[in-house]
Amino acid sequence: MEMNYLLNELISWLIFLFGIAGPFYLILRAIGIRGFKEITSYEPHTTFFYRMNPLVKIVFSMTVMIAATITIWWIGAILTFAVLLTYLSLRNGGRKLYLGGLFAISTIIGTAWGYAPFATSATLSIAFPGYHPTILWTWPSYFSVMGYEPQLTLQALLYGLQISFRTAAIISSALLLVMTNTPSQILRSLHKFNIPDSIIFTLMVGMKSIPDIFGYLDESIKIQMMRGLGSSHSRLFKPVYMLIAGVSAIVPTIIHLLRGAKDIAISADTRGFRATKKRSYVDEIPITRLDYYALGMMGFIIAVAVISIFLGFGRTIPYVA
Amino acid sequence: MAFNGIGGFLNSPGMIPWEIVVIYFIVAGVFAIIYGRSHGAGPKFNTVDLVYIGVGAAFTTVWEFFVGPFLDKFVPAGAAAYIGFGFFGRILIVLIVAGLVRKVGTGMLSLFIFNLLGDIFHYGFSGEPIYTIYETLTYGLFIDLMIAITHGHLFGIGSGEENEDATGKAVKGNRLTNFLSKYTMVAPAVMGGVIGFLWAIPDNILYTGFFSPFLYGGIVNWQSIIFSFGASIPGNIVFGIIAAFIAVRVSKVLGQ
Repeated sequence: MEMNYLLNELISWLIFLFGIAGPFYLILRAIGIRGFKEITSYEPHTTFFYRMNPLVKIVFSMTVMIAATITIWWIGAILTFAVLLTYLSLRNGGRKLYLGGLFAISTIIGTAWGYAPFATSATLSIAFPGYHPTILWTWPSYFSVMGYEPQLTLQALLYGLQISFRTAAIISSALLLVMTNTPSQILRSLHKFNIPDSIIFTLMVGMKSIPDIFGYLDESIKIQMMRGLGSSHSRLFKPVYMLIAGVSAIVPTIIHLLRGAKDIAISADTRGFRATKKRSYVDEIPITRLDYYALGMMGFIIAVAVISIFLGFGRTIPYVA
Repeated sequence: MAFNGIGGFLNSPGMIPWEIVVIYFIVAGVFAIIYGRSHGAGPKFNTVDLVYIGVGAAFTTVWEFFVGPFLDKFVPAGAAAYIGFGFFGRILIVLIVAGLVRKVGTGMLSLFIFNLLGDIFHYGFSGEPIYTIYETLTYGLFIDLMIAITHGHLFGIGSGEENEDATGKAVKGNRLTNFLSKYTMVAPAVMGGVIGFLWAIPDNILYTGFFSPFLYGGIVNWQSIIFSFGASIPGNIVFGIIAAFIAVRVSKVLGQ
């Protein structure tokens, strides 16, 4: 009895730590900042994704999003893995598949774990009509301090997976666009929609900054640790100090980024950004036969999603925020 | 199947009547345009402003979707109504950008871009365009109102300069700049606090009271709405004040 109690405590804490530390280990150690740069930046190559129109790729990630959102979780999972497999066609494809795969896994674990232990039976009974909980694990009672529900159920886990595979599918298809087009190509193709240049430009600056921000935050945390933050305490408290360092990294990071803003603005202005009402192009980005094939493929994905809804594999799970 | 994850439920018990919400958004939108036009929205965003807004929106996205949720896991459930690191980060970053740009429209464009980035990296356009309209015309508009009221001297930034001529000699400014440059400690605190308070309203009242039932049939419970609204006010005000002072410092560092 005593033994069982201890074992339960031990395993509960291991699961708890795995859910929190697992994704962060993957992101910070296995992928690393260098890895993030690799899967979020453009490298020239000539296979089909590189020849596709950027707009078509945006439509593609929206298609994947719609299909993953309206169907059951495992269709989202299949989509995620299918999209990841196409990374093999990219330049240095094996490495990109490896990094993208790790990123997807960390997203799936992190997101699912962010929802599953906290999903109340009220939420789950809306999500699963005729809800009969299948209990997988009973937490020690004091876990409720962290907001955990008393028990982890299979349904709660599926609820977490439903949400996480939607995210993973979108992220892996969105990365395809970023890896195969330069921001300026994306900007030029969005211009066709008569979206004001200023909005497209701001959006592109934002998209381009997001990977950098991770890098700067990481740098700032490492510098603080190097300067001895928390070094007088046991290594056990290191994660706590990393959090403290993370919070104090906000202001220096944002100042550093905003300083860089002036350089970006000057270089955009010197190239005549918004100098005239209409832009002119040296090389047009055409819509080719390849793009029509791709659009056909997307139609197919949507058709499969709609058919699976009629077969009863639709999303029954609401996203209760 | 509802359109793009929008259920369109309009008669959940206790829900804020949709007429009020529609009137709010129409009035807010029209007001934003008219008031903005007549009160110094004249200066168009230059390229640096656009970069500031883009970078700020990107940082908010990183903070609210990647870092904040992780930090929030360490907040005990009992305190979660009072403390939301993800949201505090949003207050801080958006106010810093607003302090740098200080043109009517900064708040709304920041929230607009933040919503688009959030959709690209996290939400996947589900429930759009409702979320974008909602956040742009609440969180964003509140900041723009503050910028308009202070005639572009949000947190009193830049009010001292108008009271000096080119050589740095003191000249007589107008009533507003005189007032703002006199109370350099009080003005940012009051404005930051007011914005922090205003920012407690949308999610706690408008979202839980209308958009949550409207989008996916969420249950409206006014007791919990009142509680979470009241609980989030202190933290929001404190962070609004801190953010205002940081914004003043940052704008000095960057020489605006």
